[in-house]
Amino acid sequence: MSESIAHPEFGESTLVLGIETSCDETAAALVMGGYDVVSSVVSTQVEIHAEFGGVVPEVASRAHLEVLNPVIARSIVEAGVEDSRIDAIACTVGPGLVGALLVGVSAAKSLALVYDVPFIGVNHMEAHLYAASLEDPTLEFPLVVLLVSGGHTMLVEMQDHGRYRLLGQTIDDAAGEAFDKVARFLDLGYPGGPAIDEAALLGDPEAVRFPRALLDGSYNFSFSGLKTSVMNYVRKHPDVSSADVAASFQAAVVDVLVTKARAAAKEVGATSIVLGGGVAANSLLREEILDGCVKDGIQGFLPSRAMCTDNAAMIAAAGWHRLRSDGPTPLDVGATPNLRLPFLNV
Amino acid sequence: MLILGIETATERVSVSVGGHEGVIGLFEVTKGRRHAETLVPAIDFVCKRAGIELSEISVVAVDVGPGLFTGMRVGLSAAKAIAQALSVPMIGISSLDLLAFPCRHTDRVVVPVIDARKGEVFYAMYRQVPGGIQQVAEPAVGPVEDLVADLMARSQDVLVVGDGAVRYREEILEGFHCEMGGDAHPSAGQLVQLAHARALREEWVQPREIEPVYLRAPDAKINWATRAART
Ligand SMILES: [Zn+2]
Repeated sequence: MSESIAHPEFGESTLVLGIETSCDETAAALVMGGYDVVSSVVSTQVEIHAEFGGVVPEVASRAHLEVLNPVIARSIVEAGVEDSRIDAIACTVGPGLVGALLVGVSAAKSLALVYDVPFIGVNHMEAHLYAASLEDPTLEFPLVVLLVSGGHTMLVEMQDHGRYRLLGQTIDDAAGEAFDKVARFLDLGYPGGPAIDEAALLGDPEAVRFPRALLDGSYNFSFSGLKTSVMNYVRKHPDVSSADVAASFQAAVVDVLVTKARAAAKEVGATSIVLGGGVAANSLLREEILDGCVKDGIQGFLPSRAMCTDNAAMIAAAGWHRLRSDGPTPLDVGATPNLRLPFLNV
Repeated sequence: MLILGIETATERVSVSVGGHEGVIGLFEVTKGRRHAETLVPAIDFVCKRAGIELSEISVVAVDVGPGLFTGMRVGLSAAKAIAQALSVPMIGISSLDLLAFPCRHTDRVVVPVIDARKGEVFYAMYRQVPGGIQQVAEPAVGPVEDLVADLMARSQDVLVVGDGAVRYREEILEGFHCEMGGDAHPSAGQLVQLAHARALREEWVQPREIEPVYLRAPDAKINWATRAART
């Protein structure tokens, strides 16, 4: 399959500055030719939001405005290039928190105007899909991407650049949201993903057999029932060890994610399964996906943890592909908090 | 010396360029609150129509609030990015100063009032001094009744201006007899004029030193519905 390239003038030497402010990470990166990460700077607000147990939109927007300029400046300094060398500016325009997105979008469009280079509005989800191929440009289509984060859980068939088919998604809580809620319930701290991951290391994953909502015949996910049964179990067994509950809960989530991803890969004849999104940093999920792929004789690709969580290198990479296929985005674009992936009709 | 002025603290989006010869370009839209969509094309338009290259700008001036949080951040983020990319200093000016400044020829106390939503207003008080205006009461945020109480306590001849004055006209007049008028929104034209005076005295700062004036702590309620829409 070949990528449709309407704008070949943007090629291997095109240097894209990526900017990301959709949630609680302020990030900037320089990526050359869509694959070569020249610099990548991420400033996280996790500690600012920890006391609230979740991301507070107004707090996030204020923090983005404070740190965005220094983060951009650092990405340019670390790349060791003159800013006049930047060929295009890519920025997340959605989905995300609208006030947070607008800080990045306003700065990115302004920079495009000053440097007189194209602006590219990037879909944050599409960027997550690109995170893997950014680290391994040899990945072959079609591939199945399991995208799991605080806001989304979806299985996507990536047929080619820009050609995606939605296989399934969560019908209630996102996986990361379930991690946050269970971690809060077990008093393990925030964010929930790493907290559960760590607690589970000391627990028995077979201590409690929590239900797996496999929703037969569908690639959709549901984690709300699991969350409820965790809470019911702990209320009934107040002396149970948090580590055992965390390990058993994590095992149930990972079991469902891996089972569905493998089934999807088999059905579409994918050459590999790729992980993406913040929850893709989970140790058990990474292990189990790799195991599953070995069993199925396909490739399992795990982006580095830094590439799974929100970063601007993936924004610049997705922006480079979009620039080549669609050209620049007009400067009168705003932010779209509920922006969807451009899925193919099925 | 050329100054770029960016003003997005209220419903208006306003962009101006000017310098020694006063305001030479001005674009304003006061409808729809589409700050992010409008601002950057407006900067491009004003500069092109005024025959100016962005690289000729030597100071970026911006309204630092108080005002609509999301709107003012659009202006602040754009202004800081432009100043950083051009390596030029910035001048931040309060939205309340900008509303009071055009009323500097009255001998009444000038009270700019900006709609803060949720039944509240941002306001401050100014009086005429030779060559300009001077703040006589610190910026505050509170319900309209607080403003009326402050006006009564002062019991001087007062001119009330701003979109908060337009929105709460009856509530204010019911409690205190005063004159209403002036501009409903700050303008980048005034911003460039005020910034020019400061720029002559080199009263500018680096982009990282620009501080937004929120006057209100963030609403710490987490909207899980909105949060679910992201990845
Ligand atoms: Zn993300």
